[in-house]
Amino acid sequence: MSQPGQDAKFFQRGKIEEFRAELHAAEAKDKKFVKRKTVLKKIVANITMGTDMSPLFPDVVQCLGTPLLEIKKMVYLFLVSYGRSKPDQIHLVIPNFLQDCNDRNPLIRALAIRTMSYIPIPVVTEALSDNLRHALKDRDPYVRKTAAICVAKLYSADPRKAERGGFVELLRDLMLDSNATVVANAVAALSEIGDRQDGVIFKLNLATANKLLAAIPESSEWGQIYILDSLLRYVPERHADAEMMAERIIVQLQHGNSAVILTTIKALLYLMNYMENRQLIDYICKKMGPPLVTLLSSGPEVQYVALRNILLIIQRRPTVLKNDVRVFFCKYNDPIYIKLAKLEIMYRLARAENAKEVLAELQEYASEVDLDFVRKAVRSIGRLAIKVEAAADDCIQALLDLIETKVTYVVQEAVIVIKDIFRRYPGKYEGIIPNLCENIDALDEPEAKASMIWILGQYASIIDNADELLDDLCYTFLEESTEVQLALLTATVKLFVYKSRADKAKELVHKVLKWATEEADNPDLRDRGFMYWRMLAINPTVAGEIVLSEKPPITTDSDRMDRGALDQLLLHTGTLGSVYHKNPETFIRNAAGKALKDSPALNAHSRAVLIPLARTQLPSIAPIVVAGPGPTERSTEPQTQSSSVAPSPPSKTDNDTDLLTQSQPVPTSQNSSSNDQDEAEDDEPPHTRQANNLDPYSNLDNAFGSYLADEPRPMASRRHAEEDDLLF
Amino acid sequence: MALDGIIILDNNGRPIIQSGFRSTTTAYPLLHIDAVNDALQKAERSADVDPVIYVASYNAANVSSACCHVRVGDLRFLCPVSGDVDPLLAFAFLQTFIDILREYLGTVSAATLRDNFDIVYQLFEETLDTGGHPLTTYSNALRDIVIPPSLLNKLLSVTGTNFNSTINSGFGAGAAIGPFSSPLPWRKTGVRYNNNEIYFDIVEQFKAIVNKNGTVLSSNVHGKIEANAKLSGTPDCSLNFTNPQVLEDCALHPCVRLLRWNRDKILSFVPPDGRFTLMDYTYSSNSLPSPSPAQQSLSSVTPSRTNVALPFTIKAIVELEDSGGSFDVTLTSRYSTHALENVVADMHLGQGAGGIRCSVSRGSGGGGFINAGGSRNMDTFGASSGASWSFDAQRAVLRWEIPIVPPSSSWSMHGSFSTTNRIPRPSHAIRVHFDISSHTYSALKVGQLKVMNAKENYKPFKGIRGRSSGEVEWRW
Repeated sequence: MSQPGQDAKFFQRGKIEEFRAELHAAEAKDKKFVKRKTVLKKIVANITMGTDMSPLFPDVVQCLGTPLLEIKKMVYLFLVSYGRSKPDQIHLVIPNFLQDCNDRNPLIRALAIRTMSYIPIPVVTEALSDNLRHALKDRDPYVRKTAAICVAKLYSADPRKAERGGFVELLRDLMLDSNATVVANAVAALSEIGDRQDGVIFKLNLATANKLLAAIPESSEWGQIYILDSLLRYVPERHADAEMMAERIIVQLQHGNSAVILTTIKALLYLMNYMENRQLIDYICKKMGPPLVTLLSSGPEVQYVALRNILLIIQRRPTVLKNDVRVFFCKYNDPIYIKLAKLEIMYRLARAENAKEVLAELQEYASEVDLDFVRKAVRSIGRLAIKVEAAADDCIQALLDLIETKVTYVVQEAVIVIKDIFRRYPGKYEGIIPNLCENIDALDEPEAKASMIWILGQYASIIDNADELLDDLCYTFLEESTEVQLALLTATVKLFVYKSRADKAKELVHKVLKWATEEADNPDLRDRGFMYWRMLAINPTVAGEIVLSEKPPITTDSDRMDRGALDQLLLHTGTLGSVYHKNPETFIRNAAGKALKDSPALNAHSRAVLIPLARTQLPSIAPIVVAGPGPTERSTEPQTQSSSVAPSPPSKTDNDTDLLTQSQPVPTSQNSSSNDQDEAEDDEPPHTRQANNLDPYSNLDNAFGSYLADEPRPMASRRHAEEDDLLF
Repeated sequence: MALDGIIILDNNGRPIIQSGFRSTTTAYPLLHIDAVNDALQKAERSADVDPVIYVASYNAANVSSACCHVRVGDLRFLCPVSGDVDPLLAFAFLQTFIDILREYLGTVSAATLRDNFDIVYQLFEETLDTGGHPLTTYSNALRDIVIPPSLLNKLLSVTGTNFNSTINSGFGAGAAIGPFSSPLPWRKTGVRYNNNEIYFDIVEQFKAIVNKNGTVLSSNVHGKIEANAKLSGTPDCSLNFTNPQVLEDCALHPCVRLLRWNRDKILSFVPPDGRFTLMDYTYSSNSLPSPSPAQQSLSSVTPSRTNVALPFTIKAIVELEDSGGSFDVTLTSRYSTHALENVVADMHLGQGAGGIRCSVSRGSGGGGFINAGGSRNMDTFGASSGASWSFDAQRAVLRWEIPIVPPSSSWSMHGSFSTTNRIPRPSHAIRVHFDISSHTYSALKVGQLKVMNAKENYKPFKGIRGRSSGEVEWRW
């Protein structure tokens, strides 16, 4: 008896033979099929547990004739699970399928079609073809909408055959169906087909796109998502078309479903590439903010996806949310992944007007419990100082206060960022060096140590006891990590250049050079040692000029993503790509790449940075391997990522020199942008990309997620920074 | 866009039930289960695991995928996704599926899932297509094809009668109309009630961060209108508000006619049958007309979004010393008419905290005051207190609970703690949760609710009430 509440016992793993015997017994005398139902239920329970029930195939199929929907459903479940593994026996059920396809109950018609489409065996597909064609024109919308999805299945079983059978055309016609759900499912099926590497290309023209929009209000939320998503397959030819379409979908931002909201935003961001009307673009940007904020009152999972997307969106459209930095203040019980995402956004939204608030928040976080978060917060204070000049004084004071706490990891982080601040504002804050020197003993992490050593070397001329301090640090030279060894080597050379007359400096540099060239195993260290040694031997004056040459000031500007890459990533708004900030085809199975399509309406700057689709989605022999635990790679090797995209990944050093050379030609045309803020925001002239042209992500490397990304780089060109400020 | 399926895990990380996974290999779901369990094991707090886990492929032929997961009570729902999928689609779908399960099973737990696995399995089949497309998720339509284990069904199955699924007798009353024949996907036709009623709950939640000086750093009020409609036929409702200007950033149920709302600020809709969320909104206290886009973009920092007065103030004096500290916290209600209920204040004292000595008491103020609303009898919590404290050693959280804080009363807690570390590292914030019944921050008022019905003429019973809750992080 199938008394509710007792079903759990069905999960006891039954024996195949037992079930078979029970099924046979049920054939004889089974009032209202109760026995059969019970046995089938047990069998289904076992299927869900992962037990192989396929030997029962012939016996279960016998039950298909039973005139009870419940039993029919269970047999179909069985068929769906094991049909494909029984190609020699499947013909037994074909007559039943055909009969059910013509049942007068639409539910059964749909069920039969659906089940058949799940069994990709030629004899079934054969039988399905004709019936599916009828089903697509069935009078009942439930059957039609089921049939639409089944076309995609048929297509994946045999694409060419489905095309010859005219199914794609039939689907296209269904997009004009009177029932919104049918329309949505037809769009879903076409999208699925269009995303296949061997599928027909699914593009929308203006008329169809408009028809689809008309179906939105009556669709379920899932249908709306399909339709909105399909708008990315429509390439506007005129500005007006894009603008009209955006105006029509903007109401969807009021939807209650978070996925609908984000898909709408994706469509809007896409359409904005083809717009001209500046006011409308501003209006849309303004409208996008509040729904994004509303997403933040959902559960942490939705918040996380929303935050990662916001981070992308505000880089491309800085006016969105620019006054809402407070929304991103962290609560102490936020999960860590939310806190880190919020922190990054707070930093992006920081500017002179709100720097005080942001700094106060960051200071608050620096006393939190979670280590990783505290470090990030301290580092963000430094980045804030570098980004917003007006706040630099306060930030430095905050960092000094933090150093006072003597909490080791806080001190270390502070030292690391202060080094960068020195480079950003040369000659302004060197007065705090004594405070740093007091804490030398607290430093035990390579990065912090190396930073401190850099400071000692660079400012050896104004630190009285620099030689002593460096000497102390050199005691453990041979045990240090390469990073620290390299820093020590350079610092002692600098010290010697400054104080070449002091015996101590001479002695020290000699000792270190000897270690580096004779004792060290690391070739980099050895080479650098030899290089310094020869330079000092041949011409100490020139050596001094080289070692202490003026450093280009640095900025955090370069951790903005490349505009073209950003445009492309935004086509994936809301998707996995936007969560990991990588194009999905590089790390996800079956993912199709997306690229902005050129059209007369595409705005000029978007076109200039247009990135053609990387051809990785072509079947490749070598599997694409993504390093690390997840796509948020820890970038010790930027190559792993870029090699999957481009044939010749420029190494990190290449990249840096690129940026350096870029800094020389500063176009004067930039002045004009001071009176045209919008221009600066939206359509900043594209970076002149050079050798790295092939790889759009080369200078993205880890714009997010990892510490390395925070590392300020040489200022690419001052003009970008100015522009940045103009945005706000 | 493909959701590969759903897996439900019990609290030990073992699968209870999973959907078909027919388009993938059998190893695929296992891989995802392992990935999630792995990540949970590694994390210090299970809440800190990324909600979207990257799942590396197990062989070269399959490129990797991702796993979205949500915790519901003791269970964890997994939704593996592959392809260029919107993780929000996965989360939205999971949420919908969980709501459906609640409706079918009452409570969602390992036991109820096991007891009704056949229903759950059918729901998998009907709500998610093998290709990863969500199918029918409106419970009205679903109930036509998956029969809920209602009381009626139970009775019938006990007596051995089985009427509702014999093919030839069709679908009972539904057969004449047929499933999915309704022009509105969210409402089936032919609904009947003897007593026609519709209820609205206006539920608002206040969230704020307050700094040590008592200044509100950020705050917002998020509200929603939850409805429960039990109306016959195809009723057409229209609901207007006397002060719609307090509503901002509205997100509406698909049944609401958007154009009408945008034009007249009237919610005009044909409601789904049963419970649903009619709208979500943010309360905006500055009812000034919003400046034109141009002005907005030029204006500098705007004040925080809402200016709701804090319902209480906290004075916290915490002194930290070597291996411990002492605290003295006073909470004073600032309301003069409403009582705060179920007040829970949490203080994280940092790893290794213990040795709590603590006392809670009621201070002065608001003594004999009777709630203006008169909804509560104030005598039940005399001058003594009713307040209590507890300490969760594992999470190192000190919890202070006060069942009811009458208007303008003040309460205090003081004590000390010790830590195993020399330097105590408590989090510098007290998190306070509270409820307020029969109150909304926005004072949103319904003007009129009209229920129109062309065919049948009935006067439904209409009910509207409000309730609020809040969550404040008060730093010290």
